[in-house]
Amino acid sequence: MKKPTFDIRIDKSGKVTVKVSGVSGEECMRLTDMIAEIVGKEESRELTPEYHAGGQVRITTQTQARVTR
Amino acid sequence: MSSVSVISPVIISAWPAVAAAVAGAAASMGFNITVPELAAENDHEGPRRRKVETEVPNSEVLEEQLGSDERIVITRGNIEIVVGRDERGAVTLCVTGEGQSKAELEQIGQEVAGRIVQQFAYHRLVAELIARDYEVVEESVQQDQSIQMRVRLGG
Repeated sequence: MKKPTFDIRIDKSGKVTVKVSGVSGEECMRLTDMIAEIVGKEESRELTPEYHAGGQVRITTQTQARVTR
Repeated sequence: MSSVSVISPVIISAWPAVAAAVAGAAASMGFNITVPELAAENDHEGPRRRKVETEVPNSEVLEEQLGSDERIVITRGNIEIVVGRDERGAVTLCVTGEGQSKAELEQIGQEVAGRIVQQFAYHRLVAELIARDYEVVEESVQQDQSIQMRVRLGG
């Protein structure tokens, strides 16, 4: 299981760019909010394809053999 | 990756955390920390000596933490920067130099202000994330002076 990971870049003017990975959906949002709360004012947020990965609906079908006598 | 955020740091803090950020910024830019009394003795006006003032954006030093020595003087060559706090609580920089234009001094002041924000954000992030059971697994300073790190949930 992947662990939540932050790739953080703080440029020389202090601006912080954070990539959150290893989680998707609501957990990703929660962790992004947490970092924003620690640092200051969030200017922008971009969701990447992995964000939606956890929200995909997985449809599985099962076939049951019917035994008729 | 799941999301990418860009965040502007806000410095709302007691003076000791600001002072630590100033010390870190000074060290990374080749400035020395000077005793304020010595700096005052050397504070003389000359024909080529200029002074500009700037401030650290989005900063506020908490008032209840104020004491008598909330001021740091850093020097590099003939450039002297007094970092303090104005009456609104903002972190201010008074940059004095000899031989530089006002524009050059302003640029130096803004570079130092940026590095103070960078250091503050770095220390705050590391402290808060470690307190939440994360660990820094990689860290480096890039050629463009940005700090890069990878932080992962421990355990």
